[in-house]
Amino acid sequence: MSRTILPAIRLPWNSLGLVAVLLILVLFFSSQSEYFFSGVTFRTLANQIPTLTVIAVGTTFVLLIAGIDLSVGSVMALCAAVMGVLMTDADWPLFAAIAASLLTGLACGAASGFVSARWAIPSFVVTLGMLEMARGGAYLVTDSQTRYLGAAVGRIGEPLAGLGVSPALLAALAVVALAQFVLVRTVFGRYMIAIGSNEEAARLSGLHTVRWKALVFALAGLLAALGGVFQLGYLQTADPNAGIGLELSAIAAVVIGGTSLSGGRGSVINSFLGVLIIAVMQTGLAQLGISEPGKRIITGAVIVAAVLFDQYREPLARRLSRWRPDAGAEQ
Amino acid sequence: MPRHCQCLPRRRLLGGLLLALALTACGQQDAPQQPAAEATPQPPRIALVMKSLANEFFTNMADGARAHQAANPGSYELIVNGIRNESDLAQQVALVEQMMATGVDAIVIAPADSRGLLPVARRAVAQGIVVVNIDNRFDRELVADMGIDIPFVGPDNREGARKVGEVLAAALAPGDQVAIIGGIPGAFNAQQRQAGFEDAMRSAGIEVVSIQSADWEQARAASVASAILGENPDLKALLCANDSMALGAVAAVRQAGRADQVLVVGFDNISAANTLVQSGEMLATADQYGDQLAVFGIEYALEILATGQAPQDRNTPVDVVVSSAQ
Repeated sequence: MSRTILPAIRLPWNSLGLVAVLLILVLFFSSQSEYFFSGVTFRTLANQIPTLTVIAVGTTFVLLIAGIDLSVGSVMALCAAVMGVLMTDADWPLFAAIAASLLTGLACGAASGFVSARWAIPSFVVTLGMLEMARGGAYLVTDSQTRYLGAAVGRIGEPLAGLGVSPALLAALAVVALAQFVLVRTVFGRYMIAIGSNEEAARLSGLHTVRWKALVFALAGLLAALGGVFQLGYLQTADPNAGIGLELSAIAAVVIGGTSLSGGRGSVINSFLGVLIIAVMQTGLAQLGISEPGKRIITGAVIVAAVLFDQYREPLARRLSRWRPDAGAEQ
Repeated sequence: MPRHCQCLPRRRLLGGLLLALALTACGQQDAPQQPAAEATPQPPRIALVMKSLANEFFTNMADGARAHQAANPGSYELIVNGIRNESDLAQQVALVEQMMATGVDAIVIAPADSRGLLPVARRAVAQGIVVVNIDNRFDRELVADMGIDIPFVGPDNREGARKVGEVLAAALAPGDQVAIIGGIPGAFNAQQRQAGFEDAMRSAGIEVVSIQSADWEQARAASVASAILGENPDLKALLCANDSMALGAVAAVRQAGRADQVLVVGFDNISAANTLVQSGEMLATADQYGDQLAVFGIEYALEILATGQAPQDRNTPVDVVVSSAQ
């Protein structure tokens, strides 16, 4: 009885440490800069995160099955490039171009996932190859030139009147909620955890691991494409150099969120908190005008500190959850 | 049953909040100093948004701006930010937005892309922020299409590259073969420098056998230069659109064992390139007084803020530094 409700209530326990880190960061920056704690800052910040958010969701799933996807930044650039070129050179309507872009991402992800799973090649290697191919594709599609799209895509990324947040942010939040639901409440979610915990055992108990793994990478590709659509709406520009190093930001956000690099353990909500922590850091450090080397050193240190914190959070949460039945039984 | 369970997290949350409050309380002890400063009219706040601060050229520019501000402490406040690598458009757009959020009076920007930064620049202008463009010029057609006025303060890159090209042409003979290593293809100054090099080569009757981009980066320039050297055994010179790439080209020439036959020129006069020019490993580079470029932009922004005049483009000087060792 108590075991069935466990996954649902374990969540806030694990997230609490991240929320605390986030609060500390916000309060710290607010105390340092008189401009930080304002509606404008937070709205600006909110409209900057949709791309990293959805890509971090895809990366969470990939890390859950003990894989890694290095290609998401390049795939995002390729998908945005496809969409941009279709809209400027071929005059495609917005939604058709979005569909083409999403299909491109899905295909890239499915290809890496299938090759990696079918021939048991480490996903690190396969997605490294995809990183190069997609980047080359982005240069090829755009002729290595930045395409300016202007207002045609602006409504994706521009804040909605009266709400202050962009459609992209709302969509990204919906993706987070849906992905968390899939992870915690569906068979597919259980399969991912089973594959990530012990792939061989999962296969022996009848899971078609190749198919499921390919599906996870395909999803990561699809989400990278969605990130590309958001990025295009935000920048109004299809840039063949977009998203260089984005995979590392995504992995950092996911790892800050406590998802294990060796698979089997993770949470989409916590990855989202990781994204917020990175975004608050970037905004705060920029507003303080910290020098570039300083920013990098501080950001790197916070990533390591957050993961260290995670090491202590785990046994602490376990100890607390062990007390719970006693506390609940008699009082 | 589950309700009971929630009391513990709540207690922890409370603890976290208290801790956080304690932290802010410490931070706020500086606060009383603020009103004193605000008694005098606030000087304008200027944000300098740079490209990669891993590139010495932009670091110098930022240092020049900081030194200028330190010399004129009362006249303005300065906040300097840069991006990680030269092509990180999204990060630079985010920086501009963050500067807008902090309510700066002017933004002096070296855009990573001549078109990609325009939508956000337009929003800044619409908010009444003075935007001054330095280093890499915004796409003129698009600026005109948007119906906004963003003045460009900076050197004439085409003219500077032409001057460097002329110095090189004087050391070569008509009919010689050379190659150009360009910057990121979308960037206006990359196009201008390439055009300037081509102007000079054309009028001297020198053949340009290859034009390739190395994205402003040293390592990429080294591999591009190696490939060009391999394909063109008679190559006499490499014209590089910035000094970082010239350093890469010099390394490639040295590795190919053709330092005696192939001349290298660059652009920007960064200190490492200047050393190579002094030692004769590079023939020439253009000095556009990089450390002052941001200062020129800031001074112009202050002028516009003070007088409210209509912004216009402004040219800043470019000189060629030539090796005396050859």
